[in-house]
Amino acid sequence: MDRRSFLNLGAAAGAGLAAAAWFDPDRVYAQATAPWTLGLADVEDDVAPHKLRRLHGRLPAGLEGALYRNGPAKFRRPGRSVGHWFDGDGMVRAWTLAGGEATLAARFVDTPKRRIETSAKACVMPGFGTKAAPGSQLEGPDDSNAANTSVIRVGDALWALWEGGSPAALDPVSLETKGFAVLRQDLKSMPFSAHPRREASGRLWNFGWWRDQVVVWRLSPQGALEDARIVKLPRASYIHDFTATDRHLIFVLQPWVQERMAMPFNSGFAWRPEQGTQVVVIDKADLDKRRVFELPPFFFFHLGDAWAEADGTIRFDACIDPDPSFAVTGAAKLLSGEASGGPAPRLALVTLGADGKARLEQTSDAAEFPRNDPRYAGLAGNMTVHTVIEPGRPLSRGIATRDWRGGKAQAFDFGLDHLVEEFVFAPRPGGSAAFDGWLVGTTLNLKAKASELHVFDARRVADGPVCSLRAEAALPVSFHGNFVRG
Amino acid sequence: MRPIKTFAVVLSIAALAATAAAAQEASLTVAFAGVKAHKGKMMGVLFDSQAAYDGKGEAVRAFAVAADGATIEERLPGLKPGRYAIRVFHDLDGDGKMGLNPFGIPTEPFAFSNDAKGMMGPASWDAAAFEVKAGDNVQTIHID
Ligand SMILES: [Fe+2]
Repeated sequence: MDRRSFLNLGAAAGAGLAAAAWFDPDRVYAQATAPWTLGLADVEDDVAPHKLRRLHGRLPAGLEGALYRNGPAKFRRPGRSVGHWFDGDGMVRAWTLAGGEATLAARFVDTPKRRIETSAKACVMPGFGTKAAPGSQLEGPDDSNAANTSVIRVGDALWALWEGGSPAALDPVSLETKGFAVLRQDLKSMPFSAHPRREASGRLWNFGWWRDQVVVWRLSPQGALEDARIVKLPRASYIHDFTATDRHLIFVLQPWVQERMAMPFNSGFAWRPEQGTQVVVIDKADLDKRRVFELPPFFFFHLGDAWAEADGTIRFDACIDPDPSFAVTGAAKLLSGEASGGPAPRLALVTLGADGKARLEQTSDAAEFPRNDPRYAGLAGNMTVHTVIEPGRPLSRGIATRDWRGGKAQAFDFGLDHLVEEFVFAPRPGGSAAFDGWLVGTTLNLKAKASELHVFDARRVADGPVCSLRAEAALPVSFHGNFVRG
Repeated sequence: MRPIKTFAVVLSIAALAATAAAAQEASLTVAFAGVKAHKGKMMGVLFDSQAAYDGKGEAVRAFAVAADGATIEERLPGLKPGRYAIRVFHDLDGDGKMGLNPFGIPTEPFAFSNDAKGMMGPASWDAAAFEVKAGDNVQTIHID
């Protein structure tokens, strides 16, 4: 049989591509060998609350509360698997710290997507990087809501967040899903992104993306809707995260632009580096008042906190990539055990001058998941913690802190046996200086095949964790979360 | 040819035709199930062709039925047997319009005959169309 007739046969069987993937020896080898693939393994069942085993150190007195985190934890079903890391079912994890002990409980968010796919025994719903398959139903955005990106405390509820639909409300103790939150009946099913920004006062700002528009949400510290307004933007750029100073909302419009509504979602975007990056600064007090800055082209998912200086200069940090290849192919390949080998995102500082000129300074630090001290949200003098990515291997292996006022950067390397997740800051009671407190976060220990919780003194990261504890479960790598004081 | 006999034949043919028409008449009861919010109205539209269903022709009937009762149904008499499909939405606020959020996504529940589901839009005619036979018919639609 010559090559041509083989290809024809493959096409006739309707399985040409699938067969090619299956027989790709590199792919099969990678699946069989790479330890990091544990970070994208499926979880079948909820994790019952259980006490963590202490590995070393003691939980600091005064660190009481819960680290809630969210991330996809079910990717594969007999009939079909999702096509992208971002399309797995959200599992909310509660790492609770009380009385010197820590417990872990984790529960899948009970979404329509998960129900449809459980009964179909196949991942049929469309997503960020997954095409729809027969059996899918999509009558509104929440039918494909994976509720898998972050989790925040709003009033008495936990909200599991995704970027294209409504928050899924959960009970904070049992983690049971109550249903999608409707902030106001006429705003039902409006998108509520996974990256809200909370002011030091507790007031919450968020956006929801829709082509070249966003809805800007404003919630009171107690979680009541104060305002929702539609803001038109100069282009239909992909916006995963935004940032804010105490007085401004900042939308960074990268040149990854939606040119058509398509399935999967990411296939409708095109990389247009010639268009550069635009930064739109909007007044919180008057959403019609805006300034637009121009920067060179870059791709990003995550921004750090922003602040304004006395002369009107605005600065914020960002984890930037040269292009969107991770969003398109890299994060899809991870699921089949392939490391794309592309460059890691780098920490950068953006400066928006009072003269209307913008500047991008890129560091050489491979960085993702930037977080800050929430007491300094939007204010000068904040500090940043981010994960440190291992070049050439997907996912992170360490954490580092950065003080943009010139303080010494600190880092800790967990080593290649750990997949390191986002760390968040928890303040020391009675303290007030930026990063006076702890950094709390999780890793997946690939050798022990178990998830771990680690606590650092936020100002002494290089010293390593002051306390580490191990869970009984090995949970896949999650995206984002927040610490809620007990 | 005798004129009287001819007249009688014509009459009897007319009578036969009338009987046939009566036998071919159909009624359709549209019943709603699964209703969570017992308020407002179910606003339904009945179509008898794909073109009309897809917005390129006239609907056969439009109806509004109060959604506050224990049973919520509408009887549509005087239909011709054939294939039909229904689009319905639950007008929760009673303003007579399908509520849409600022990005154009429905904020009020909607459904189709056969409980057909849409895929980024309304269910297709093929999925929603059902047979109405001579006599009484029932179509139950789950909504909310
Ligand atoms: Fe994110």
